[in-house]
Amino acid sequence: MTKEELQVLYKAKILPESKNPYHFEVADQADLKIEAYNSLCGDKFQLYLETEGELIKKVSFYGFGCAVSKASTSLMARKLEGMQFKEAANLCNAFVSSLKEQQPLQAFEDEELGILNQLMRFDGRIDCIKLGWEAIDKNLK
Amino acid sequence: MLDDLKHDFPIFNSYPELIYLDSAATAHRPRSVITAINQFSILENSNIHRGVYDLSNNATGKYEEVRLKVAKFVGSENANNIAFTKGTTESINIVAQSYLADRLEQGDNIVTTIMEHHANFIPWQMLAEKHSIELRIAPVDENGDLIIEQLNALIDDRTKLVAFNHISNTLGTVNDIEQLIELAHQKNAPVLIDAAQSILYYDLDVKKLKIEFMAFSGHKMFGPFGIGVLYVADQLMDEIKPYNYGGGIIQSVTVNGTSFSNFPFNMEAGTPNVSGVLGLGSAIDYIEKIGKRMIKEHIGTLTKYCVEQMKQLSEVKMLGSPKNRSGIISFVVDEIHPHDIASFLNKDQIAVRAGMHCTQPLLHHFGESATARASFSIYNSKSDVDALIKSLKELIKFWA
Ligand SMILES: Cc1ncc(COP(=O)(O)O)c(C=O)c1O
Repeated sequence: MTKEELQVLYKAKILPESKNPYHFEVADQADLKIEAYNSLCGDKFQLYLETEGELIKKVSFYGFGCAVSKASTSLMARKLEGMQFKEAANLCNAFVSSLKEQQPLQAFEDEELGILNQLMRFDGRIDCIKLGWEAIDKNLK
Repeated sequence: MLDDLKHDFPIFNSYPELIYLDSAATAHRPRSVITAINQFSILENSNIHRGVYDLSNNATGKYEEVRLKVAKFVGSENANNIAFTKGTTESINIVAQSYLADRLEQGDNIVTTIMEHHANFIPWQMLAEKHSIELRIAPVDENGDLIIEQLNALIDDRTKLVAFNHISNTLGTVNDIEQLIELAHQKNAPVLIDAAQSILYYDLDVKKLKIEFMAFSGHKMFGPFGIGVLYVADQLMDEIKPYNYGGGIIQSVTVNGTSFSNFPFNMEAGTPNVSGVLGLGSAIDYIEKIGKRMIKEHIGTLTKYCVEQMKQLSEVKMLGSPKNRSGIISFVVDEIHPHDIASFLNKDQIAVRAGMHCTQPLLHHFGESATARASFSIYNSKSDVDALIKSLKELIKFWA
């Protein structure tokens, strides 16, 4: 990725999402609290899930992270609302696997995940992208 | 300032545009060191201490010559003060396990500081937990300088070791080790100096300073990975038990028991990193050719320049402002996470580190989750600083 491409990607997608993250707030009353933490870089988000049975009604998150991890977690939060635990875990698992295998995300015909697809090619930042997704996958499996 | 030393480092032939500001993590290697390592494989390869044939005798001789060279490099005439290890981390763990563990009793304590690299923190924390003794941690002030009176108050007659770094790999603080050693010795506590960041350009005369233990790594002083040094003072050499068991460290082995060689020959079980040792020897030659004083001056000038430039950027905040700073600057930028900084600088061929730098307790103390870090070496120049500042300015503007 060239510097210009990086700038375009940040300007168009990452910064708007990370500067205005979805439900970026502490929600202590949430039914489920999951920590997403990268011990290498220090990024740490609390994920808050309001649930009804196994249905995810609301996702919020709060913490410290780079623009990439924040944007990615924010997009994830939008995606997971309305899903069953299993569905959410499957989506997160498929997403994380696709990152690890460096495969394009064609399986997800979804514009927002397409953004993350572009993000994925972003050198050296896969850990930032997958931070929240991996935490959901591990905890809802 | 030193000129043209960049040409000594082939990595910059491969990447002429590279602006490498991460020498605190690992330094690049000069051609002479690379040649020494390669030459061993091509002309000299054989195992040491075990053969009577020429190749092996020659390799053994060269390996042991480096032991003496390292001893002299740190101000000792006695090669046997020097054990070769995998690096600073292993050297410190050896002191923890092979020296300290067996002499800890309830009521004892170990003193260290909040600015330590995890390598000089976790080994003591683990010992303290296991032996139910106290780990005492000296604080730093807002400048990132140790608060000496408080450190002094932590050391008492039950202190079994005072372990501290010479230079903080995150703050760049240069500790006044003479003073710290004196404080420890007043209470009869031995010291361990983590010299990982200072060995390259500070005169560390172990005899004059009366240092008991000192640890450093080859790869931060232009040498190869996987080789490091543990210095142990004469009077403590007999107190160090083997760390790993295996061949090469024994006097005799029977089915009933084993007796071991003395330090340092009880440390290097198994086939050692012979080419690494020779590479380390070559790195010392290189450093001595240039001179520590020149290296220090060059890095000092660059760092001072960079600090001044960064002060002009209101969005940039440097972590700490130590009285005496080495070639390391940690910084944060308003609203921009260190990882994002590093990614953008990378696009301008500038290599900086982002994260916690293996100093989590220190970053917590400063209330930071991560910083970006620039560190300098002899192959850097003012134009590298200018490039860093230019990129930072551009990024800040872009982000707004
Ligand atoms: C101050 C300090 N101590 C210890 C270490 C650990 O050195 P090594 O990884 O070579 O064992 C480092 C390396 O980052 C360091 O900067």
